[in-house]
Amino acid sequence: MVKTITDPARKIKVFREADVVVIGGGPGGVGSAIAAARSGAKTILIERYGHLGGMATGGLVNIIPNLSDIYGKQHVFGLNQELLDRLDRRGGTSYPAGKDRGTADKKVVDYYQDANLGWFYLRKDLKGQPRVLYSAVVDPEILKDEFNDMVLEAGAELLLHSWGTRAITEGNAVKGVIFESKSGTQAVLGKVIIDSTGDGDIFVSAGAEFDNECDNKRRTAWLALVWWVTNVNLKKYDDFKASQPDKFKELMQELVKLDGYPGFFKGILKNMPNTVWYHCMQPQSERTDATDVEQLTRIDIRARKRALITFEFMKKNIPGFGDSFIMLSAPQLGTQGGRRIIGEYILTENDMESDEVFEDTIVTLANNDYGEISLKHPTLCVPYRCLVPRKIDGLLIGCRAFSSNDMINETFNIIPHCIAYGQAAGTAAALAVKSGVQPRNVDYKALTDNLRQQGVNIPEATGKKALPATRSKPKDFYYQKYRGPGKE
Amino acid sequence: MKTIKEPARETKVIREADVVVVGGGPGGIGAAVSAARNGADTVLIERYGYLGGMGTGGLVTIIPQLTDYTGKQQIVGITQEWIDRLITRNAVDYPKKEHWGSLDKELVRYYFQRSFFMTRLDRVVYAAIIDAEISKYILNEMVEEAGIKVYCHAWGTESIMEGNHCKGVIIESKSGRQAILSKVVIDSTGDGDLFPYAGIEYEDNIPPHFRIANLALCFWVDGVDLKKAMDFRQNNPKEFMELNRKAMEAGGQGGFMPSNLPNQDAVVWFHNRYPNKSQIDVEELTRVEFEGRKKMIKTWEFFKKNMPGFEKSFIVLSCPQLGTRSSRRMVGEYQLSEKDLSDNQPFEDTIAIFPDLDRGQDSLDHPNMYIPYRCLLPKNVDNFLVACRAFSSDMHVQDYFNLIPHCIAFGEAAGAAAALALRAGVGVKDVDIKALQKQLAKQGVPLPDVSKKVDYKYDGPGLVSTSFTPPH
Repeated sequence: MVKTITDPARKIKVFREADVVVIGGGPGGVGSAIAAARSGAKTILIERYGHLGGMATGGLVNIIPNLSDIYGKQHVFGLNQELLDRLDRRGGTSYPAGKDRGTADKKVVDYYQDANLGWFYLRKDLKGQPRVLYSAVVDPEILKDEFNDMVLEAGAELLLHSWGTRAITEGNAVKGVIFESKSGTQAVLGKVIIDSTGDGDIFVSAGAEFDNECDNKRRTAWLALVWWVTNVNLKKYDDFKASQPDKFKELMQELVKLDGYPGFFKGILKNMPNTVWYHCMQPQSERTDATDVEQLTRIDIRARKRALITFEFMKKNIPGFGDSFIMLSAPQLGTQGGRRIIGEYILTENDMESDEVFEDTIVTLANNDYGEISLKHPTLCVPYRCLVPRKIDGLLIGCRAFSSNDMINETFNIIPHCIAYGQAAGTAAALAVKSGVQPRNVDYKALTDNLRQQGVNIPEATGKKALPATRSKPKDFYYQKYRGPGKE
Repeated sequence: MKTIKEPARETKVIREADVVVVGGGPGGIGAAVSAARNGADTVLIERYGYLGGMGTGGLVTIIPQLTDYTGKQQIVGITQEWIDRLITRNAVDYPKKEHWGSLDKELVRYYFQRSFFMTRLDRVVYAAIIDAEISKYILNEMVEEAGIKVYCHAWGTESIMEGNHCKGVIIESKSGRQAILSKVVIDSTGDGDLFPYAGIEYEDNIPPHFRIANLALCFWVDGVDLKKAMDFRQNNPKEFMELNRKAMEAGGQGGFMPSNLPNQDAVVWFHNRYPNKSQIDVEELTRVEFEGRKKMIKTWEFFKKNMPGFEKSFIVLSCPQLGTRSSRRMVGEYQLSEKDLSDNQPFEDTIAIFPDLDRGQDSLDHPNMYIPYRCLLPKNVDNFLVACRAFSSDMHVQDYFNLIPHCIAFGEAAGAAAALALRAGVGVKDVDIKALQKQLAKQGVPLPDVSKKVDYKYDGPGLVSTSFTPPH
């Protein structure tokens, strides 16, 4: 039997009442809060850390990829593009020029290949020729400031250093959330609550149905820790690698044996020379659970150990790393997937091949990760219903916990996608408040029209139901191929 | 006041231990390591993913005030162990031992320019600049070796009370709300977060002109041509000052400190002060986080454009944790106060000695502060210790003695006391003080001979430099 203690009943101070309450200030939450506030809702955003941006800033996953398809056509717009435009004005981003998107030009391809950034920038076309995607890297510190500006300009109120822990419910409706902070336990009430915690922390406590099955081979089943090393002489490193490939290979194998991590990306932000990024995946033999605090602790400690092993080995043995130092490790552990809501619609790979444009499409995403399937079906439409829980009222999902199976979630749960889900959730929440209906009853046409006005790319719904697709289920786990250098 | 009603419910107990330490900053590290090494089954709960608090996540990468004005090292123990481990990894900078306490003008000037923290009272003092990333690793290593069960990414929010006995704490994490039970609870949250729940008396008045009244948002800038910047400062001091003034006019801040760490020649450190109403008010924390970030960007943009040497610079990182300096202070069994700042007699239950260096002539007349065990003990809870800057003190003592090495020392004493009390089967208030002092001495903590009356009078040279308020 599980041992418990009894928490007595008590009164909790209501800190604020708002129209829309967003929990979690990562890409999804920022998108939600900006969209809700711009649409006229009195909005409050609650964030656990002292900065916004989640994985994109605190997680040092400073990459917004997959904005275009393999041939370079841009599909993802809206807040994503607005953000990049703003960062661009401050020198805080770097991406392939318009003419280079979709190119097979060897020089451009080699640039990303050489930086080990093929994962984010290159995909093969039908002839097997790598082409360049529209993906952007961003400066996390400038991004933190830009997100602050955007949220405040939109008129949302912000609570930092505040951990939204659980839902306040009444029957099957969510009425607000409890949050913990240095000011103690307090409550915020709202008409629509948006769960942008990434892990669905709020919907769990509201009793919503969810799915957390995930094949252990998937990227989303793992955690990662990112750290940056600077003062690296990359020329010296390149020369060594080119002139003594066998010695280099031998050393890298030795590093792997020591439990180090050989793969790094060359930092390609123009304002940060001599810097490399280690995105150290932490695959586990058993299923990891990003919502288990004991696992989080164990993995964090081991990851930090691997960082030091790697750093000290490189410094000692690899030319160019002699004077390097660890600039920083990510303040937030890299979680990649967790619980997923069971929504009014569950997105699966079937939708990728059906090419259906839903009546309630909220965003068109570029589909780049499934080889031939992707080339035949370069986009995936996501319906609003993926953000709406099946049974719980007053709640929307604006993050990677959207309603999807583990396969779709693996490829469509990263930063640009979360920003887009947030933009839709925030807009829908404001519409629901304005018209006094539950989020699930928001008028689809009003929502899609509104999103289009915000610059989101949404095709006209054809009105006809897509034919059942001939399923050519992808055999490989896409990310499996990209687990280490030399495997790409 | 509008409230909502939360019904009673069952919360899962995930662990039972001898000692649970809430907060993995310098105080919590000291407490957990010391408790575990003395045989207690110890749990450490930390809100972020790494240990070290202000020393790592706050980017307050400085362990100052380790020697008194004579050059005698007074804070050793776990603080020195942290530094020793950094030395083996070449990740720390401090004045040479033979220079500690030196009055040599050339040496003092050299160290003053190297770091503002390395001189006080016309003399060289032992202060260590530490590498934050390597420190995170080393602290993990220390708690692992000591056999401590750590919960990272877990926020210890409330104490679980039964009358005047604290049975454990509630943690909130991605795993939801859970409970950890223990025989002794140590509050190392920095802010005494458990006080309101445990009914422990505290003060939080801080006059606005005090150092501790300010928050900080530290940040590092890399890619600096430091030689160029320093040459400019040396050759054009007026223009240099003028540029710093203009940076402030532009909404930024002036003044930076070099990293000094090996291979970090291109890195500088910006430290700052943000007045606020309270450091435990979530609205104030949010406001300062915004203000600080805005100021940081303006500072950097100004420096990049105008200051020689900063042309190719970039912001490495703003501190993941806002720099908090003080909030709640327990009113415990003994409250250290202003009058203790001039008393040179040690307490019978002294558990640490802190060099007094920031108060000019007053410091020379009172070179060391003695810390009694009682200032870690609350009045009304029987199995509770405070091991962080929320120790029992008035605002004056707090203003000078709540830094990283001090907190480690509180922790080291509290952890050892908890373990000894459990071993002897007594409450923490009844721990054998002599045995505790003996154990601390064994751990390398310098302690006074309390059997003798101290007859001290300063008879060294008169003070040349003026006293000043340090920026830390």
